[in-house]
Amino acid sequence: MNRSLLLVVEDDPEMRSVVSFTLRNYGYDVREAATGAEALSQIQTRTPDAMVLDLGLPDIDGFVVTACVRQEHEFPIIVLSARGEEQHQVRALDSGANDYVTKPFREGELMARIRAALRRPVPVAERRDLNVGDLRIDSTQRRVFVRGKEVTLTRTEFDLLDTLARNADRVVTHRQILRAVWGAEHVDEVHYLRVYIKLLRTKIEQDPARPTRILTTLGVGYRLVSSESIS
Amino acid sequence: MPSKLQALTRAFRGYGLPVGCVVLSIVGAQLVQPYGHLADLAMIHLLGIVFLSLRSSVRTSVIASVVSIFAFDFFFISPKFALAWSDAESIVTFIAMVVVAAVVSKLSENLRRQEQAARATATRTQALYELNVELSSSRDAAELAAVTARHVGKLFGGPATVLLQTAEGALEPAESARDRTLSQSAWSRREFVKQGAPSGTAIWVPVVGAHSSLGAVGLRPKIPFEQDSEQGFMLSACVSQLATALERVQLAGAVRRTQLEAEGERLRSSLLSAVSHDLKTPLATMIAAGAALIGRTGEIEPKAADDVLRSLVSEGERLSRLIHNLLSVSRLESSTVELRRTPESVDDIVLSAVERFNDRSRKTPIVSEIAPDLPLISAEPVLLEQVLVNLLENATRYSGSDSSIFVHARAAGGAVLVQVEDNGPGIAEHEREKVFEKFYRGQHAPKSDGGVGLGLTICRSIIRAHGGKIGVRERSGGGTLVEFTVPFAAAREQLSREASLDS
Repeated sequence: MNRSLLLVVEDDPEMRSVVSFTLRNYGYDVREAATGAEALSQIQTRTPDAMVLDLGLPDIDGFVVTACVRQEHEFPIIVLSARGEEQHQVRALDSGANDYVTKPFREGELMARIRAALRRPVPVAERRDLNVGDLRIDSTQRRVFVRGKEVTLTRTEFDLLDTLARNADRVVTHRQILRAVWGAEHVDEVHYLRVYIKLLRTKIEQDPARPTRILTTLGVGYRLVSSESIS
Repeated sequence: MPSKLQALTRAFRGYGLPVGCVVLSIVGAQLVQPYGHLADLAMIHLLGIVFLSLRSSVRTSVIASVVSIFAFDFFFISPKFALAWSDAESIVTFIAMVVVAAVVSKLSENLRRQEQAARATATRTQALYELNVELSSSRDAAELAAVTARHVGKLFGGPATVLLQTAEGALEPAESARDRTLSQSAWSRREFVKQGAPSGTAIWVPVVGAHSSLGAVGLRPKIPFEQDSEQGFMLSACVSQLATALERVQLAGAVRRTQLEAEGERLRSSLLSAVSHDLKTPLATMIAAGAALIGRTGEIEPKAADDVLRSLVSEGERLSRLIHNLLSVSRLESSTVELRRTPESVDDIVLSAVERFNDRSRKTPIVSEIAPDLPLISAEPVLLEQVLVNLLENATRYSGSDSSIFVHARAAGGAVLVQVEDNGPGIAEHEREKVFEKFYRGQHAPKSDGGVGLGLTICRSIIRAHGGKIGVRERSGGGTLVEFTVPFAAAREQLSREASLDS
């Protein structure tokens, strides 16, 4: 079995050892780094399959580390941040991180995010069918099926769903969605999103008042859930 | 034309009375001449002079009396219609008339001056009294300055300005460059400054307190005056009242600051005692639990080990919540807090809160009812979620385990009204304000549940920061109802589907 290599970047030794311990228990190979500089040099020696990154590092800002990595590498970055710092999470995601977990976190949550991150998102160029749980999206014909039954979506609704589906199980930030669907000049028009998410939910959710497919992460963005992670 | 007429009237106003008196004396004497002696005629002239002297200055009276004497000589003393001095008797009469005119007019002038002075004193006392009344009901320096400027302006019939010393110890700058220079020199040298100019005379006086120069008062009076004039004294009386009032306000401010500091000190110490207890208890449990497991993982049966570990985790979570609350309070209460507001849907926030709450305890079912098609609100969503989670936690804490908690959201005016209801024991009326205070716990609060009395304080800070209101009511049918409002987002952020260019 091909074991994934994870790099854990965390300055607090206790936290680092707990995270590494948990990841090893789940069968991952784990390497550790205590500083941003150490992390970058480790990446040069051997590129990991994913990185778990604490934002508050003593030497280099976590956002800077993310940006540096993103210049050369595509591997997923999962950010660890303290709760109540949503703007940090958003900044991390916008600067290239794939997902984040808030501290204090539960083991199951961290593992689910890592699993989701390791499934590579489908590049925009590869237009083909996407299956997200019982949702099927035919990107070439721009058709959507819920449990085999077709639903009609407007162009914007389709683009919105498509953007979320290609990043299934990961939080996509407001700016990321707005840029992908409405264009770069509308990245701050969060109210567009609110309206269209509501419309989309009425079409693809069983109970739009209690959504189970498109979930809101307050202050950050939205996440489309594939059925396997609804457990 | 009327202005010419007015000028003419003004030029002759001073002459009307003396000329009239002299003419009337002559006419009166002519009428009496057939029946009386020459002495009677002289008396009529004297009457005219006395009458005039009562109302005119010494100079006017004396001139008029001389004119009157010549007229008497001309008309009545023979040879008539000629100016001739014959007998010594009439010369004595003439001198007496001039002296009477001078004395009477001098006396009446003194009287008039005294009356004027009395009237001025009364006016001044009245004005100072009014100023004093208003100053003593003013609460801050800016208000004092405004009140004084208004009174002084009214009193001297021209615009007045009051400049105060700033916190940095400088004088507030005046509007014009000229006033800036004058006010600076009055303030720094503590002296009366007067400067005439075509645009009007400017007067600046310093506001001098017991210890320092507190500011300066500037004035463009209708009629310019000197420092040692009646008006000058009046102005300095007004200004010294302002100085007293300013010092009173400063002193009150200092007292209030001291009180606030003492209050802050009291809060800090109650925080310290509450926090040290509430931080230490879970920590002690965690350390004990962890220590119990070290080196004994083989000996303890897995079920028992799990129990120990579970309590370790739950205590850790309790600690984490407490720290989160403390940090929230300190963030919300620091004056620099700025909300990151975005247009948000109420449904998302309520759902998210219910979910986060359920992650912690699934004991109590939550029934939420959100009005359809609520407009978006302008909020920092995570903070509002925090409000709801705190309210839900309170609701479960105080209501029975088998009962439900209700969350309602609907539009009320320009805001969303959210209500969280439980059927617990309720909150007594006298406690409904107090429960929002820091570290206040209601009488039904369980003693050892990890609460420290910050939940509702945080809620109130958050809701107020959003420009909403929060309050506690009695729920009909028993229990507690906490409700809060958050204003809707601006109309341009309420997007209808048609407006967004969809196809």
